[in-house]
Amino acid sequence: MHRADPGSFRDPASHIVFDGDRVLRLLDERGLAAWTALSGTDFFSRGVADGRLIDTRQVDHGGDAAAALEHPRIPFVSYPYEWTFSMLKDAALLQLDLLAEALAEGITIKDATPFNIQFIEGRPVFIDIGSFETYTAGEPWIGYRQFTRQFLFPLMLRSHVGVPFQPWLRGNPEGPTAGEMRQLLGPWQRLKPSAMLHVSLQARMEERMSGRAVRNELRTAGFNADLILANIRKLRRLVADLDWDGSRAGWIEYESCEHVGRDRETKSEFLEQALGEFRPARVVDFGANDGHFSEIAVASGATTVAVDGDEPVLDALYRRGTEASLVLSDLTNPSPSQGWAEVERPGLSERVRPDLVIAYGLIHHLIYTASIPPTAVTGWLASFRCPVVVEFVSPTDEMVTKLTANKMDQELHTGRTQGDFETILSDHFEIQATRILGEGSRTLYSLRPALNG
Amino acid sequence: MLFGYLDAGSGSLILQAILGGAAGILVAFKAWKARMMGKRAIAGADSESNVDDSAIPTES
Repeated sequence: MHRADPGSFRDPASHIVFDGDRVLRLLDERGLAAWTALSGTDFFSRGVADGRLIDTRQVDHGGDAAAALEHPRIPFVSYPYEWTFSMLKDAALLQLDLLAEALAEGITIKDATPFNIQFIEGRPVFIDIGSFETYTAGEPWIGYRQFTRQFLFPLMLRSHVGVPFQPWLRGNPEGPTAGEMRQLLGPWQRLKPSAMLHVSLQARMEERMSGRAVRNELRTAGFNADLILANIRKLRRLVADLDWDGSRAGWIEYESCEHVGRDRETKSEFLEQALGEFRPARVVDFGANDGHFSEIAVASGATTVAVDGDEPVLDALYRRGTEASLVLSDLTNPSPSQGWAEVERPGLSERVRPDLVIAYGLIHHLIYTASIPPTAVTGWLASFRCPVVVEFVSPTDEMVTKLTANKMDQELHTGRTQGDFETILSDHFEIQATRILGEGSRTLYSLRPALNG
Repeated sequence: MLFGYLDAGSGSLILQAILGGAAGILVAFKAWKARMMGKRAIAGADSESNVDDSAIPTES
């Protein structure tokens, strides 16, 4: 019995279903014709071999579909509004490179959305094999507008305007229109040649020509694949030159904090012990920061998701090359379930499904900065129904003193002492191990869900 | 060719020709000229109260 992927329904020619742990792509006759053409190209074999295209093989299938393909399961699915600048940029370059290589062998990509790309072991991989189809001479690149809205404009928003693209894509995954982008750019930014062409001119032409059929005229006038390739070459240079200085803000200097270096070795050992004891297949590291502890989980063989709300540190981790899956998300406002019928793109907690949670250097920020009650924080950790390795930070800790410098005691939730914390924990967990850090204001806990929790 | 489920945007399609460089600008101009001539043909047919639908360019 197949279970349809609620996020795969837009293309009538190709959609994903799950058969137990297997991932199948079911094709109609048109999809089968496209697959037959694609699978015979050198470009496809090369792309699969070097990991830029998802591994794909045709399998026998007894259902109504014209054919079925099987893909490996993606360890963790993330969405472009959870990616950092460099991740979206690399995804954009992959999209352009694949289209250029495909066109050279008479194949095109019928859309251009980052939702067709996933990060596996730290590298972007194009997963929507159903997006490839035979190129018909004289046809323009159907995905150009979508490429600008979902790749180019979000990157320009960060690079040129200094505004993060993730909130926009989370609010509207279609991305800004050329007209909206024109409004967002300042007067000087609009004078950049790239902005004049891809933003202002596109906005103007979209306004003037909305709803008119132009493809026949383009074909008759001599449009050809060389024009698409010339456009792709220029777009590639443009995207490659887009930059963002993410090192100016955030927690990029975190490693230089005194307590971080002092406690790191002890915290690493404590985590390694927990990983050895619980042997989790899937780990999520909430508040991953520079990814040090995520890397320990990766080294243990666990599929690891590193979640952090700070783009500069997560972007630096991505550029360093980590095998952990990265999610840029504020834990007090994680990605919700959204899209069609609110099931198209599941929320973060539905996707992580860990066997072990790491919450180092995290809960005091939730309690003191975000004003989440300690009982709610512990209840949230317990909601994953798996072991947790957590760092408790007492109210007397130097960092807590800084976080509460401008807060009156009565403005803080009760239940913040270590005694309170252990009482609250006992509602959900059994304490397996503890370790006091440094001068005693911080304690590590290794927790197993209580049988009656 | 069957067209995709994606709305490519008419203005964005013509723009692609321009973005393709000098050869593309010529293509865009020819397409624009063909469009103008098509419009004139429709206008002429309209004035004779005899609209010829085949003169209206359609997606294939």
